[in-house]
Amino acid sequence: MVNITINGKLVQAYEGEMLLAAIRRENIDIPALCHHEAVEPYGACRLCMVEITKNEWDGWKNHVTSCLYPVEEGLIVNTHTPTVIELRKTILDLFLASSPHSTVIKKLAAEYGITRTSYEEVPDSTDCILCGLCTRICDKMGFSAISAVGRGHGKEIAPPLKEPPPDCVGCLSCAYICPTHYIQFTDNGKERTIWGKKFKLLRCEKTGLPTITEEFAAYLIKHREIPEDYFKINDLSHRRELALKMGQITQWGREA
Amino acid sequence: MKQDFTTIPSIIARHPRKASSLIMILQDIQKEFNYLPEEAMRKTAETLEVPMSKVYSVATFYNAFSLVPRGEKLIRVCVGTACHIRGSKVIREQFENELKIKPGETTPDMKYSLEVVGCVGACAMAPVVMINDKYFGSVKTSRIKQLVGKG
Repeated sequence: MVNITINGKLVQAYEGEMLLAAIRRENIDIPALCHHEAVEPYGACRLCMVEITKNEWDGWKNHVTSCLYPVEEGLIVNTHTPTVIELRKTILDLFLASSPHSTVIKKLAAEYGITRTSYEEVPDSTDCILCGLCTRICDKMGFSAISAVGRGHGKEIAPPLKEPPPDCVGCLSCAYICPTHYIQFTDNGKERTIWGKKFKLLRCEKTGLPTITEEFAAYLIKHREIPEDYFKINDLSHRRELALKMGQITQWGREA
Repeated sequence: MKQDFTTIPSIIARHPRKASSLIMILQDIQKEFNYLPEEAMRKTAETLEVPMSKVYSVATFYNAFSLVPRGEKLIRVCVGTACHIRGSKVIREQFENELKIKPGETTPDMKYSLEVVGCVGACAMAPVVMINDKYFGSVKTSRIKQLVGKG
């Protein structure tokens, strides 16, 4: 264990973990849009910025992204100093200029007292803040169907050649993880569309309810050692089957 | 311009078959074809076992790579700080008028491509124009017609 001080309180943190994890465990609310436990920290949104110092640093202080800074013995962390709040406000102000219509950004900025950006709003803005969560989760899932394309002002998240991505299986992980709900998809229970690619949904043989896409099921069967008939029924039916089996076992137990 | 894609595998084979060879391979392909043909990117991804999305991401990130065929002569107008101060804007406009294309475009006869670049590291001779590998310093608008014929 590592001893650190967060906002004046002495706390213990696990060796190797990042500051953000220790801060959140203390129920201190600091924003972070590009962070998710499922993927490696990335430090793109800069919102989790905190002030750090140590007694032996002679008053020297530094501002770091807490999602990327590993805990250190004797570290003194302050999450809401005037400078930190000012930094966070500036970042939110910039986000508000690049994504002025995002409800998530607007809400977060309002919490810090910003209702309008002091910069010029970006023309043809999108709600995408380029946090990279979608590409990181897509890599982690093993598909790498989408990636950052271009650079600077023209940078965007897109499939290769901006065509419907051949490697996408329609799992929707990117859409679910997107912090600003920018990634759109349609799903009518029969067919699903995301990134311009259409997918057919499998149906549970027992309940008739849609489950996952054919491509996703095929991938899981091939790469995750899941039995081939697993996706013939949905989770609910699996649970029902299991409950019946458990009931039988209990019955046998009683009879024996 | 060479459009014989059969050389692609041999270009890729010049480099170790690992992900870190990606940029070197793309550079060699760019040199050979003057742009990155789709087939070449696909073949590279397949050979190095790198996702196509990553190849495309790298190919679109660096200005040294082009995804569309470039003309025989690549005219780069520097619009870096020093060149900007010394009037690169009018130089650029003059080239646009002369070639009837915008930066990033190629003339229909595939002879010229126009590009604006950040800094070519020759600020002392600003404003600078590069035509293929040659540098031209202290460029004046009156010289541009002549420059288009040169390089």
